Amino acid sequence: MVSKRFIAKRLLLLGPVLFGVATVVFAILHLSPGDPAIAIAGERASQEFVEQVRSDLGLTDPLWEQYVRFLGNTATLDFGESYQIRRGAAVGDILADRLPITIELAVLGQIAGLLFGLPLGILSAVKKDTLTDHFSRVGALTGISVPIYWSGPLLILLFAQVLGILPTSGRIGSTYFIDSKTGFILIDTLLAGNLAAFQSAALHLVMPVIVLGVYSMAFISRMMRSSMLEVVRQDYMRTARAKGQGAKTTVMKHGLRNAFIPVITIIGIQFGSMLGGSVLTETVFEINGIGTLLVEAINKSDYPVVQATVLVFAFMYTIVNLFVDITYSVLDPRIDQ
Amino acid sequence: MPGDNNQVSRRRFMKSAGSATVVATAASSVSGCLGGNGSGGGTLRYGRSSHSETLDPQDTTSGEVSKVTNQIYDGLIDFEPGEAAITQSLAVDWSMEGTDVTLELREDAQFDDGTDFTADDFIATYRRFVDEEYEYHVGDLSSYGPFTLGNWIDSVEADGDYTLNITLTDPYAPFLRNLAMFAAVVLPKDAIEGDFDFATDANGTGPFQLDKLDNSDGRIKLTPNDNYWGDGPNVDQLLFIERGQNSTRTQALTEGELEIIDNLGPNNIGQVEDSDAAEVQSGEGINVGYMSFNQSRMEAFRDPRVRRAISYAINTEAIVSQVYSGIAEQADQPCPPALFGHNDDLSPYPHDTEKAQSLLEDAGYGDGFSFKLTTFQNARGYNPAPMSTAESIRTDLREIGIEVSIDDRQFSDYLTYTSEGKHDASLAGWYTDNADPDNFYYVLLHPQVESPEGQDWVDWDTEGYNTSNRTAWANQKFMDLIEEAQQTSAKDERADLYHDAAQLAYDEAPWVYIDYADEIRGVRNTVNNYQVSAIGGPHLHLVDVE
Repeated sequence: MVSKRFIAKRLLLLGPVLFGVATVVFAILHLSPGDPAIAIAGERASQEFVEQVRSDLGLTDPLWEQYVRFLGNTATLDFGESYQIRRGAAVGDILADRLPITIELAVLGQIAGLLFGLPLGILSAVKKDTLTDHFSRVGALTGISVPIYWSGPLLILLFAQVLGILPTSGRIGSTYFIDSKTGFILIDTLLAGNLAAFQSAALHLVMPVIVLGVYSMAFISRMMRSSMLEVVRQDYMRTARAKGQGAKTTVMKHGLRNAFIPVITIIGIQFGSMLGGSVLTETVFEINGIGTLLVEAINKSDYPVVQATVLVFAFMYTIVNLFVDITYSVLDPRIDQ
Repeated sequence: MPGDNNQVSRRRFMKSAGSATVVATAASSVSGCLGGNGSGGGTLRYGRSSHSETLDPQDTTSGEVSKVTNQIYDGLIDFEPGEAAITQSLAVDWSMEGTDVTLELREDAQFDDGTDFTADDFIATYRRFVDEEYEYHVGDLSSYGPFTLGNWIDSVEADGDYTLNITLTDPYAPFLRNLAMFAAVVLPKDAIEGDFDFATDANGTGPFQLDKLDNSDGRIKLTPNDNYWGDGPNVDQLLFIERGQNSTRTQALTEGELEIIDNLGPNNIGQVEDSDAAEVQSGEGINVGYMSFNQSRMEAFRDPRVRRAISYAINTEAIVSQVYSGIAEQADQPCPPALFGHNDDLSPYPHDTEKAQSLLEDAGYGDGFSFKLTTFQNARGYNPAPMSTAESIRTDLREIGIEVSIDDRQFSDYLTYTSEGKHDASLAGWYTDNADPDNFYYVLLHPQVESPEGQDWVDWDTEGYNTSNRTAWANQKFMDLIEEAQQTSAKDERADLYHDAAQLAYDEAPWVYIDYADEIRGVRNTVNNYQVSAIGGPHLHLVDVE
């Protein structure tokens, strides 16, 4: 079992990590060029008007004052109001709308990666140096090497334009308006009992999930293969086989659990990169998750949205890593010591 | 047309109203065949690059917001579809004598909640926009408040429910056009003074009403407003759908996921043209792209011979035809050809390196000099390729010994930097707000401060200086012409004044005139009656889908 002390220690580390991220993002935003006041007031605004807006936003206050105010508000989960993305709307509300979209995408991408990556890795290890192994390794290498901004448009060209079997972009057919209960489109369409909308949402998710899944699959299968190869050489595996266990049982019973340990780490890191990769995937497929939100907010100098989105990314990354550590210590109790 | 002259007699109005009736009858017979008022059926999906940041027309300067709010709300005056002329909307008649403006209002208009529209609604709208004393003032977050109404209006009074008397601070010829701007649309007084959230909800007198606002997926669904006083709409639902990238938007059009797309880049035009299912529609734009000389900062630019030399040296014909792929035409003056302030006698500076060199030598700069050219990074309608434009200018000017270093910036940073006058020269451009020549000449080239004795430029830091004038040019003769035109009612007289001003701006060359860009849309073949508008609209209530 994982000790409470271990979890508490890791949770306590969250504070300094988020504080560091908040400080860095605040510094970068305020030191880099770009003026939210002129973006809000518009290019027609006089200099005086822009000054007025700047003052209204508190941007004329000393930087340390703005920093302290920002930290204070962040500590109470008050991320302020959006300057431009959705004028005057609470940033928390915007994130609540967008975050489930990215999580849904990342989870589905990760599941796809696991579903294909794990068996492929095991198969590759078990059938080492065979044609299956070579194909699997070349496939994995290709999956890692192909950038999303290349594979995405290629898929759109194939499935949407040439074959015409999948929609080009978006999250659901434009005429379906489903009340958002959970923010996860597949669940919301099911809750609404609208199967046509569910089908539309599922079809829209196919290409983004493939793109994210392939990337993840490639990593997982490579790691699973090498980890498995390492494990099968261990004494206990030989002992198991010497006891008369079949090859399949030995691999499944003794090999998998041990081989999983490094793979779990990769899955955790992968999930984190998948959140990062969502910036590209969401841009290519025009999905309004927090990836595209971040890009849009940076382009529009929407400071509160940028700050909050980066913090959410950092928080999620840290939490995922915490879960990885916990799972790790469950699989290998020595870690907890 | 009513309103093209600022002084419109009732007789002239009735005459034009008569012809308007004929057009309206013809239009209604067409829409009658289609069903009219929403019964034509179908869905119209309009793809655009950005979602609306708000639905409040008074809290933004964004054109993306206006595309939607123009379907829901009406102004007192509107722009004709596809033209710069103004026409009736909630006002059916008007007159302007000096500073007195009288508007007769429509008596059959209702908001979509069934409330009657009256003059009080406009007064509350005006006060919300500009009156800081008003309890329901929207706040100072959009510069359109003063720009559209606040700077010009002294008082607004109702004479009964359907007459408005507006007194201006000074005679201001473009005023009626300001009433047609999207930011001046009429909001219901009850909602203004009630607990209504204009950012996320809407209640207007226009052809459509808000049905769904889906911020998560960047979509807005409008349905016909049953109380609409005019013709249309001809579709059951109108969807605005965000597709940020030009390529994705174009693919969605050709694959039948959208009916109309805007902001079509030069690279995507061929894609639409190659499609059997859609076509490119274009209209004359009301914009200008240019390079401004900052005379406050660069001494060399204070000599008109240097400015003219640079104008001759830069091959704007090549920029327009090659860099902009022919989606624009070469410019020769500040005001685009779609407006009456354009002087047709002028033609673009020819590309003439020898003449440029000779002018530079006359001015004492035969050995050349160097300057920094500040530009924005991303494409704008009037400049679809700013970096390539800057590169092209650098190459051309090197031939006459002028070294240009390019300073490219993200747009808001670019705006701040150039509005503070830190640029030597900058690429710039302008879309019209109200389709009046004043919106180019006065806004972009008048310093709005006194010109110092004996010089035709001002120091950037002069108090009250109009920083939209990115040149610091302050030519007294030009300023006199523009001020006189601003206060002259008769259109012909105004046109003469502007033509003289255009000639002066051509000779003095405070800008290098680069282009007037076309308005380009991608439209599926199933769409009828869509007209590309450079100002106002889009008039989607007239559109039907097969």
